[in-house]
Amino acid sequence: MADIEEDRGLLAADAGEEDSLPGVEESGHVGTPLPAICDPAHVLHRVVVLVFMCFLGFGSYFCYDNPASLQTEVLQDLNLNTAKFMQLYAWYSWPNVILCFFGGFLIDRVFGIRLGTIIFSLFVCIGQLIFATGALVNRFWLMEIGRFIFGIGGESLAVAQNTYAVNWFKGKELNLVFGLQLSMARLGSTVNMNIMGWVYSKVTLLLGAPGHTTLGCSFMIAAVTCIFSLTCALVLAFLDKRAEKILQKEQGKTGEVIQLTDVKDFPLPLWIIFIICVCYYVAIFPFIGLGQVFFIEKFDFSPAEARAVNSIVYIISAPASPVLGFVVDKIGRNVIWVMCAVCTTLASHMMLAFTFWTPWIGMSLLGLSYSLLACALWPMVAFVVPEHQLGTAYGFMQSVQNLGLALIAMAAGAILDSRGYLFLQVFFCSCICIALVAVVMLYFVDYLRGGDLNRSAAARAKLLKEATSEAENTRRPSQLTEGDVARLSPMSAFGLRNCHLSRFGAQLPHHCSGHLSSLAHRSVLK
Amino acid sequence: MAAAWLLCAALFSSAFCSSGAASFTRHLSVELNPGAPAPHAGGDLLHVRALGDNDTLHFLFCSQGAPTLLLVHTRVTSSYVSVDWERFLSRNASGSLRVEPVSSIVSSTALVFSRLLEYDDVNNTADMPDELFPPYELRNITWSAMELSGAAARLCGAVAQGSICLHLSVFDGEGRDEIWPRLLHTANSSQVAVQLNGLLPRSQRSRFLLELHSVGGVYPLNTVRVHRSIDDEFTPSIFKVSEWTSGTNESSCDGCGFVLWKQVAYRHSPPALEDASPCRHTEPRRQSGGALAEAGGLALAFFATEGDEPDGVFGLNISFGMAGEPFYDATKFLSWTALVGVGLPPSDTFSPLVAAIMAVGLGAPLIILLVGGVYVCLRKRSVSSASGYEPIN
Repeated sequence: MADIEEDRGLLAADAGEEDSLPGVEESGHVGTPLPAICDPAHVLHRVVVLVFMCFLGFGSYFCYDNPASLQTEVLQDLNLNTAKFMQLYAWYSWPNVILCFFGGFLIDRVFGIRLGTIIFSLFVCIGQLIFATGALVNRFWLMEIGRFIFGIGGESLAVAQNTYAVNWFKGKELNLVFGLQLSMARLGSTVNMNIMGWVYSKVTLLLGAPGHTTLGCSFMIAAVTCIFSLTCALVLAFLDKRAEKILQKEQGKTGEVIQLTDVKDFPLPLWIIFIICVCYYVAIFPFIGLGQVFFIEKFDFSPAEARAVNSIVYIISAPASPVLGFVVDKIGRNVIWVMCAVCTTLASHMMLAFTFWTPWIGMSLLGLSYSLLACALWPMVAFVVPEHQLGTAYGFMQSVQNLGLALIAMAAGAILDSRGYLFLQVFFCSCICIALVAVVMLYFVDYLRGGDLNRSAAARAKLLKEATSEAENTRRPSQLTEGDVARLSPMSAFGLRNCHLSRFGAQLPHHCSGHLSSLAHRSVLK
Repeated sequence: MAAAWLLCAALFSSAFCSSGAASFTRHLSVELNPGAPAPHAGGDLLHVRALGDNDTLHFLFCSQGAPTLLLVHTRVTSSYVSVDWERFLSRNASGSLRVEPVSSIVSSTALVFSRLLEYDDVNNTADMPDELFPPYELRNITWSAMELSGAAARLCGAVAQGSICLHLSVFDGEGRDEIWPRLLHTANSSQVAVQLNGLLPRSQRSRFLLELHSVGGVYPLNTVRVHRSIDDEFTPSIFKVSEWTSGTNESSCDGCGFVLWKQVAYRHSPPALEDASPCRHTEPRRQSGGALAEAGGLALAFFATEGDEPDGVFGLNISFGMAGEPFYDATKFLSWTALVGVGLPPSDTFSPLVAAIMAVGLGAPLIILLVGGVYVCLRKRSVSSASGYEPIN
């Protein structure tokens, strides 16, 4: 039964196929055909589901960067210094230090994908509403609580979104779906940066004067996107439940297995990858958070222009991520790509710090290198760690990354208040330099250990072919250990999901797209 | 990467070897009302004599008439100030203050704080309208007695139910102020801080302007240059410095005066980043003949001789606040600092800390790359010199 359903799920464009599956019940009539758009197996219905899936995360990404898009207004209306302003970002990251270990567990064992998505969307909604209320009544601690609750929902919602995608789409479609989800995420961030200023000015006209009330109203208007996302979650839950009934398939699972004891088995290259991840991203997100006023003060930009240039990183990342992901997958040699990305980011930060060249150049470079790093770095975890430890590895990586972001966000605000922008940029440059040291060390460690990470895609494919053919041929003893083979084999649904963390724009490695045959082999090799 | 290394080396050298020329010191001697008869009303005169190796810089600060800071640079070490007190106190006597010997004077510059202007910024655009409130003439204010502390003096006057204070500091060597905007000073410069404390604004959306006049004997201060600098370490978020100079080629003008300030005023004391209020200035305009006589006091006493006025009087306005910034009413406090001196205006350089961080940050990966590359090459060579076959088992 499961195989037949899988086959039907994989057959994409079957226009006009009206046979329903055996055992289907619809309106009490067995065998009555459903219209194409209502048939969960049909591509048209799945496109509808895709639309809702994409908009599921829109509200969360839109509201995440709300403080950055209205930085001057937040600082002035609420009488904050930069250190306190950055607390709004730190509080988003704190819950995710722990929650990223439990997201999969909560979805698989406790809530189920449907209820879990609704709950996380609710958290996002309520968090943003509390945040807006805090601004309305001019209580900063309430805004911090709002961001904390928002953070609880935000990251876990991304996990749920990916699980839905893997559940509804298989094979080559998954690349497209993940790409679309990524684009929607970036679209949300970009729209937020460019539109919130306009919203604020309109509300000021309405209310007469700027102030914390105007700010609160603007954030309330932003919360509408969260309510919209919540609606999408509800609709998705209904459609998924209906599909489950009609197609008789199981509720989707993340397939994630977290075992914290695995941490002691992590190899050295993985720890170096963690360091690169932390040191790199702490120089990107806090910088974007503080970017608007930097561009206004140093480059004499108008507020609208400053917001536009701040959002260019996201705008560039939307088309660049799929393209660069494709290139990296085709060529391989991930470590070299990571090194390029880190060097380019360093160059762009130094350009912004030490010259008066137009920041469009620096920020565009930053957008490109940020996309490149995501495409090259996250898949490397899958090359270093066996599949049964992947969940723990990714969970640990995200946890450490959120911890770094929370701490450095606060530090960045404090540095700016006391020492100014040049020193802040030098601080970011030093973080990138630490990442660069780590990349160089990763290259040498990997080289001395056999060069797994830096193989070209062709070599890796060849090795995989050899490994699978050798394992099939039982007469000759395999030279590769089970661990090696497990490392090189394609990944499960969970692995697919974790390959692509749409928050950070990673693209599926080519070998991750599951073909039926590979899946079959994988089950044999296990 | 090589370009980055070069940049670092440049930063390092600029941080350590900067201002070699101006790192000399002067010997300061302070006297209040030199040679004056018994206590008198009508304003104090502070004279600070900064003695260098082969020149002298006289700083004169007077509260008679409009508060004025006068710098006289002489090329001998034996110059002195002589004041005809009877005529000086009568307030409109030109030539009653002289720096002897007159032939040794290289340059003289005076900065007069003439007026405090106020306007109602109805639309929050910070554009100076045609109609302003009646200005506060600083020559008509009753100034307190000068409070001395070392080579610094504080002068306060009551205006609009608040006070305007001028704080002068003269320096004997190179250094940097402790409070923002942390201007870099040398022994050739003095610092004046203007504070408007507790004034009652005449409208809810009032903004203030400070009118300054400069009198420069041979080289009048007729242009303001705005420098953009990437370094905002000492004045966070401020990247522009304004220099009011005589506009001549610097190399030919040895003792030209300058007034230097960062385009910021602070709304709180002690200032924090969120209290920074940008300030703008108008272009210096030549003043009519009667301006000096109007100002009275020190500038008139020194520059004018027998009804003959110098034609190098220029004036400009410093306006505090920009569109969207809080009004004066928000904190009822404004503080603005300027550096007045002779010679080349001091220019900020990177602190050694910044240069060190960049050097380490850029150098470490390079070194590791080099060391690692060498190690890998050596290992490769030693491996290839051994047998090239891999073990079968």
